[in-house]
Amino acid sequence: MKAFPALATGLTMLVAVTGCQKEEISTYRVAKETVQAAPSAAAPAAAPAPAPASSGTGGTSMANTPVATASGNALVWTAPAGWTAKAAGSMRKGSYAVKGDGGEADMAITAFPGDVGGDLANLNRWRGQIGLPAVGQAEFDRETQHLDRNGLHMTVVDIVGTGANAQRILGAMVPHQGATWFFKLSGPDALVAGQKKAFLALLDTIKPAAPAK
Amino acid sequence: MNDLTRQFRDFFVSLKLTVVLLVLSLVLVFVATLDQVNLGIWAVQEKYFRSFFVLWNVKGIPVPVFPGGYLIGGFLLVNLIAAHVYRFSLTWRKAGIQMTHAGLILLLLGELFTGLLQEDFSMRLEQGVPRNYSESFRENELVVIDTTDPKTDEVVAIPESLLRPGASLQHPRLPFRLVVKDYFPNSALQMKSGAAPGAPQATQGIGTTVTAAPQPLTYKQDERNIPAAWIEVAGDSGPIGTWLVTTIAGTPNSAPVLRPAQTFQHAGRSYVIAMRFTRSYKPFTLTLQKFSHDKYSGTEIPKNFSSRIRLETPAGKEDREVLVYMNNPLRYDGFTFYQASFEPGNDKVTVLQVVRNPSWLIPYIACSVMTLGLIWQFWIHLSGFIAKRARQPQAA
Repeated sequence: MKAFPALATGLTMLVAVTGCQKEEISTYRVAKETVQAAPSAAAPAAAPAPAPASSGTGGTSMANTPVATASGNALVWTAPAGWTAKAAGSMRKGSYAVKGDGGEADMAITAFPGDVGGDLANLNRWRGQIGLPAVGQAEFDRETQHLDRNGLHMTVVDIVGTGANAQRILGAMVPHQGATWFFKLSGPDALVAGQKKAFLALLDTIKPAAPAK
Repeated sequence: MNDLTRQFRDFFVSLKLTVVLLVLSLVLVFVATLDQVNLGIWAVQEKYFRSFFVLWNVKGIPVPVFPGGYLIGGFLLVNLIAAHVYRFSLTWRKAGIQMTHAGLILLLLGELFTGLLQEDFSMRLEQGVPRNYSESFRENELVVIDTTDPKTDEVVAIPESLLRPGASLQHPRLPFRLVVKDYFPNSALQMKSGAAPGAPQATQGIGTTVTAAPQPLTYKQDERNIPAAWIEVAGDSGPIGTWLVTTIAGTPNSAPVLRPAQTFQHAGRSYVIAMRFTRSYKPFTLTLQKFSHDKYSGTEIPKNFSSRIRLETPAGKEDREVLVYMNNPLRYDGFTFYQASFEPGNDKVTVLQVVRNPSWLIPYIACSVMTLGLIWQFWIHLSGFIAKRARQPQAA
């Protein structure tokens, strides 16, 4: 049977072929890709912050118009009058300076995919920022309030540091379509405490952006 | 023929071997089908069928526990060919059997070639944006792109399989080394300040604000792993920086904070470093003209998906519109583009499945040959039977 050596050779080659599929580094030259618009709404990566409320509009308490910060699954809100919009930068969806007697507080609005470690981890991160020790779930339940606004569930915290120059953080965590949005007002205790009403008023205005037509 | 060759031959032409192999394949298919619940179809194919042995992890050491699809299939193939060659006789009476066997051999070979050569990618097209590459469903690559030239990019693509913690990667096209500080095959991003201490550190780019935590590998069909790696770029005079790269950063669909490309300068040239879905560039361009998603009126039940696509080649050889819809793929240049998916709520995007399978015709030919063989075999018997009946005297 002359066919058998040929058969054995064939089988060995098959084994060799199936076993030798090693991946290697490749190089190539391509034309530069056309810059793509972000899906549907074509919003810029970081939407510009709304123009500061001009002094001429003083009568209305919610001077700024809602601003879509990202395409499709974004949230919009209306900032209280008297808060000055700052450049959002690449990290933030929105950024405001809140001035008062005790100096200046910073309002930061950010969004990250997933739950960013969970609400407890996020609260402890904020506690760490004002020099407070981390807490457990029981303390978390005591320290947080829950609001439901415009179909969104918000976990709201109000935490104060210790010492003479104590800092305070008013924060809200808002899960929305697979991402978590953070609204955080931080600054000197007295100033931030005085802005709590305005902060809660801002939370009332948060809602999902209208879908792109 | 000496004894050894004879034993060798008798083993491979034996019908007992065929039966044993068929029983083994029955068991393999049964177990693999059950395991599909845990692993999903793709991982099951790789673990049970596209392997020589089914491996079990015993304390981190892979131990072969059962012959895999390639081994059983390989032996079946050799068994069939050997029996075919050994018992071959060129007669009309045997032609049907020979053809059926030949078809079966072809079918087995076809599956082998499909496993080795098939490419299964996807192509996401946005309306009006030309695209000339498809992306892998499962594989990822680390790329370093020299973007200095205003018209073209020079890409160095490193397959994910080469990323091992501690690996040092060098390539003649790169004037620096890439050192893999750490690598997670699947990960979730989180804020850096909330991360556990001891997590790998990036000195540049998104890794300065976010970090990645390892996640168990997913095998689900509708999910994909999100690898993350910390890559140190090291020049002659020391490290240039360490970047965190992951497939969910640096794309137009990334979260805003992750969207900008991670860039750096070295020796007067500009580079981008990124992890992305493995790309396969094509010598032609597809542009979505219009995606239609019809539903049965008054319901959300899809009736029809179709994509009107413009196909262009750079030399102007082709420039035409094609309509791709269910069961009507575009076949071009060895690739088949199927209407595969869409993005809910975004009718400006279509997702095509791109398949290249040079051996796609083999199963059709194999089945035709087997059918002809069986018909022939049946006809030989039937005609023999009829002739025999005709010869017998009619009963009174």
